[in-house]
Amino acid sequence: MSDRLLAVRDLRVHFPIKQGLVMERTVGAVRAVDGVDLDIERGETLGLVGESGCGKTTVGRAILRLVEPTSGSIVFDGRDITHLKGEALRQMRRRMQTIFQDPFSSLDPRQSVARIVAEPMRVHGLASRAEVQDRVRELLETVGLPAEAGSRYPHEFSGGQRQRIGIARALGLNPDLIVADEPVSALDVSIRAQVLNLLEELQDRFSLTYLFVSHDLAVVRHISDRIAVMYLGTIVEVASADSLYEQPLHPYTLALLSAIPIPDPVVEQRRRRILLAGDLPSPADPPTGCRFHTRCPFRRPERCHDEIPALREIDGGHRVACHYAEQIRDGEIRPAAGAVVEG
Amino acid sequence: MALLEVRDLHVVFKRRGRAPVAAVDGVSFDIEPGSMTGIVGESGCGKSVTSLAVMGLLPSRGVQVHGSVRLDGSELIGRGDEDMRGVRGRRIAMIFQDPMTSLNPVLTIGRQISEAIRRHFGTDEDEARRRTAEILDAVGIPGARSRLGAYPHQFSGGMRQRVVIAMALACEPSLIIADEPTTALDVTIQAQILELIRGLVIERGTALIMITHDLGVVANMCDTVNVMYAGRFVESAERYALFAAPRHPYTAGLLASVPRLDEPRGTRLMPIRGNPRDVIPWSAGCAFAPRCDNVIDRCTAAAPGLEEIEFGRTLRCFNPVPPPPEVPPPAAKRRRA
Repeated sequence: MSDRLLAVRDLRVHFPIKQGLVMERTVGAVRAVDGVDLDIERGETLGLVGESGCGKTTVGRAILRLVEPTSGSIVFDGRDITHLKGEALRQMRRRMQTIFQDPFSSLDPRQSVARIVAEPMRVHGLASRAEVQDRVRELLETVGLPAEAGSRYPHEFSGGQRQRIGIARALGLNPDLIVADEPVSALDVSIRAQVLNLLEELQDRFSLTYLFVSHDLAVVRHISDRIAVMYLGTIVEVASADSLYEQPLHPYTLALLSAIPIPDPVVEQRRRRILLAGDLPSPADPPTGCRFHTRCPFRRPERCHDEIPALREIDGGHRVACHYAEQIRDGEIRPAAGAVVEG
Repeated sequence: MALLEVRDLHVVFKRRGRAPVAAVDGVSFDIEPGSMTGIVGESGCGKSVTSLAVMGLLPSRGVQVHGSVRLDGSELIGRGDEDMRGVRGRRIAMIFQDPMTSLNPVLTIGRQISEAIRRHFGTDEDEARRRTAEILDAVGIPGARSRLGAYPHQFSGGMRQRVVIAMALACEPSLIIADEPTTALDVTIQAQILELIRGLVIERGTALIMITHDLGVVANMCDTVNVMYAGRFVESAERYALFAAPRHPYTAGLLASVPRLDEPRGTRLMPIRGNPRDVIPWSAGCAFAPRCDNVIDRCTAAAPGLEEIEFGRTLRCFNPVPPPPEVPPPAAKRRRA
């Protein structure tokens, strides 16, 4: 497809576990990302959702080439960037920017806001000093900050305003792709909506493509066109945002959706919740077969334990990695007793 | 008589070289035995300080606490630390947000819980350990008996929060204050822990105060909900009434600014403008006025008082959001057409 901006194939990022002081040897690996396929079309928002430790942040960082992929390929705008180095990598990075989670640690407290926003442009030598100044003023206005904000310092701003500064910095280079890693998670509830609305406006205005990484499925569903659900280093389900919510197929997605509280007691009373047993297994020693089988309320003997389910297409772009997705959807396989809680 | 009566509670922090700040500014509420009450607000609204004041956990230097907190009729404010130790844990227990900081990392969990039991009940060591194993089992720690000798770091985040809940329940308190108990946890673990807390307090008849920023959490847990802004309650109501028709512009604004899973996609979020720091002191009008869409002249002239607008429902606003035109009859009474 011609309008595909990013194609990730079989991406793996393994972090070695080392032991010993003098004779350091590798005793194992944390398989943070273990075989991820992703496509992002130009102009769309792909939501990448999962719980802490599932590898979603590492996927984002590998795409930005901030961590070295162990294997697999990343093709950005038709060009394989998996092994780019030096100047070529630097040039490519102009086209991808990131927005971080924590608006307190991601801005240098000793630099003025204008310097922070101008830095990427200076690093890439894009414009003269006077042009940069104009551009900074324009960017601050774009994200809804007063022009005089440029001469102030990050500590003078609230969390939501700081996140706007981070967004202005990301926009400076006119990137094609923005990787936003939990951009609203650290913000107060009333501020989250402001930043989400801003991100949507900017996308329309500058035809941006977002990879939106978050643990919050309600936020991800709101902002994304398509959603990929991650569990323990692999993608378990990919679908359009509507279809993922209306017809979730993977048991993990079902549990995730039912776990999110809805601010309406009437709805809450009527809901059936699927409670997962236990905790996330260690990515250093993932379960055999389907990685979710240790917590899955729909688990069948043998096959789930032995055979790794492939991410297969069920209908119209809705893909799921579960051996029994159809049977679960059609109610032929019921969840284990005790896993379902009424209202 | 209410289990806990809080009347006109004020907490003022002194600041060097600056005007003192009233984190809690005249809060009153009752907690009935076995009830579940929510206090909802954003960071800095005073919800946590309220709970610390009730527990007597605020430092004595630089902090002034006024008002009255009565537990079973006896006043807690002004009691000495030694005296409060018999109340904390025994009568009122707390569950904090971060389980790692509420557990002592160098003591086994068995020791931490059994010590509280021995101290408050004066039981011998064997009996305390037996009860500890029992309570750890009740909060769903697998193989509880064999894990008494484990240290906090040997548990995952969700399991640690279960240990903290076990510790809170160990001395059979009449009231548990849970301050953002699931904010540090993943959503699927959050669902487990909320279900656990709900089941245990219902089973034991313990009253619960749930302090959170998440309206979804209180919608599912609490009978009554208090919305707090800038140190004061701005709206209090029974949960169905509150969520069906929020009357305070701040409550309505909070509800309109969170994306809901059950709404059609593309529903535009209606944020509250400004940020929680944009407040005016209550002495100069309504603290929410600078961010309020319903603001009228009166709002910046005087502070609105808390008025009872319906039975069991109070509101602090001069120009509230109108109730929806037609209130649908409750589901139970609806007749079939």
